[in-house]
Amino acid sequence: MIALEPTVLSLLGAFPFDRVYVESIIYVSLYVSLTAVVLSTLASIPIALGVGFTDFPGKGFVIAVINTGMGFPSVVVGLLVLFLVSNQGPLGPLDLVFTKEAMIISQFVLAFPVITGVTLAAVTSVEDGVRDAAYAMGGTRVDVALVTVKEARYGIATGILAGLGRAISEVGSVLIVGGNIASADGTAITRTLTTAIQLEARQGRFDTALILGAILVTIVLSINAIVLRLGGGRV
Amino acid sequence: MAQRAEQHRASDSRGAISIADVTHGFDGESVLTDVSLSVDRGETLAVIGPSGTGKTTLLRLLSLFQRPDEGTVAIDGHDVWERPERDRLAARRRIGMVFQSANLFDGSVHGNVSYGLRIRRDWRDRLSGWVSALLGSEIEPQVERALAQVGLAENADRNVGSLSGGEAQRVAFARALAYDPDFLFLDEPTSDLDPRNTAVIEDAIDAAREDGLGVVIATHDMHQAERIADRVAVLLNGEVIELGPAERVFENPRDRRAQKFIDGELVY
Repeated sequence: MIALEPTVLSLLGAFPFDRVYVESIIYVSLYVSLTAVVLSTLASIPIALGVGFTDFPGKGFVIAVINTGMGFPSVVVGLLVLFLVSNQGPLGPLDLVFTKEAMIISQFVLAFPVITGVTLAAVTSVEDGVRDAAYAMGGTRVDVALVTVKEARYGIATGILAGLGRAISEVGSVLIVGGNIASADGTAITRTLTTAIQLEARQGRFDTALILGAILVTIVLSINAIVLRLGGGRV
Repeated sequence: MAQRAEQHRASDSRGAISIADVTHGFDGESVLTDVSLSVDRGETLAVIGPSGTGKTTLLRLLSLFQRPDEGTVAIDGHDVWERPERDRLAARRRIGMVFQSANLFDGSVHGNVSYGLRIRRDWRDRLSGWVSALLGSEIEPQVERALAQVGLAENADRNVGSLSGGEAQRVAFARALAYDPDFLFLDEPTSDLDPRNTAVIEDAIDAAREDGLGVVIATHDMHQAERIADRVAVLLNGEVIELGPAERVFENPRDRRAQKFIDGELVY
């Protein structure tokens, strides 16, 4: 491993890109997407449990909205978030335009319906008998919810990783609300792997674009491998 | 009148669970009509009747899953549904229930059997319980005793996926016994089991009754009811048509429809 390290570094040095530039792009991509997915997960699981196990007027409509959101065009989300954070928008005073925080909001909106929809399907597929057993043994509502989440954990993990895949491979909304900005010293500020690929390709630097594309594909493939591994044919 | 008196026999005694004048239904359709019965600690009541006659609904009302549309459910003479939520939780925690399906949680046998004990702790104790679980927990004797009662003492570490149907149902039984309930409700617990596993469960039911639990078992197996019950209720179309000591009900039922059912005839 120690002997390999100089070899790997020398190989990286041979590639036609600025290593600091690429590392900062990877950092921005992962920071924005992981933060958005963590926040989406925290919101999605209670909402999926609430929708799944509560009867209320308009429940079918809520489920339809969640399912529609799973395929919502990302550029439209970007546009709506831009209105939200622009000077005239309700979040205007926070001065979020072209910041990572605005990108996190847009990716939150994109990941939320994916995670909620898959989690909803997972928790509602937990057999009634299992929840009945937890209740019959003296479980509170929280105990029953925790048992349900534990039983549905593979499906929920699949939803989270699917949300991460949707967020990290998305280009339209982060381009609109983030602005694809890099600083003068060559480090990314709001530039992600997807927006950088779009920029490098448009400027004719296909070698750099391909390298960035390979990194993105590797990350997305890794996410899918984890999904398959966790699913194990059960989800 | 005598039957009515029998139905209310223990409704206000201590150490008993009772339902009185209960009517309940779903989607406007009545499932139980004016049902009254009770079970004392230390006795077994078998509820027999054809499929779809309301046995499961009756057990779910006794287990406090739902509030009856009409009538009362009382433990130790107190109407449970008139008490605050906290008291009702305490009442539910005096009840163990075994369903027709094992309904085990994904994971180990130990995880299932210890569940009822773990959720009885407050959150601070649960956190310290997770720590003590790493060091050897104080709940182990109760888990081991419950598993021993169903002949699975050496199986705590097995994954529930590796259990046979009979073993799974025995784990479900141990799970309901582990936290020392006062009452045990069994919804056709042996209907899918072979004779050997059925015998293990029936022995465990007898042992539970001898330990002072009040047991209610819903079954359509009259021979089983005859073997294990002190008293029998015959439920037909949501009404208790016969209730009394097992020997008397099987040998000399007062209701003509109960007689037909016991004789193996179709009754409606």
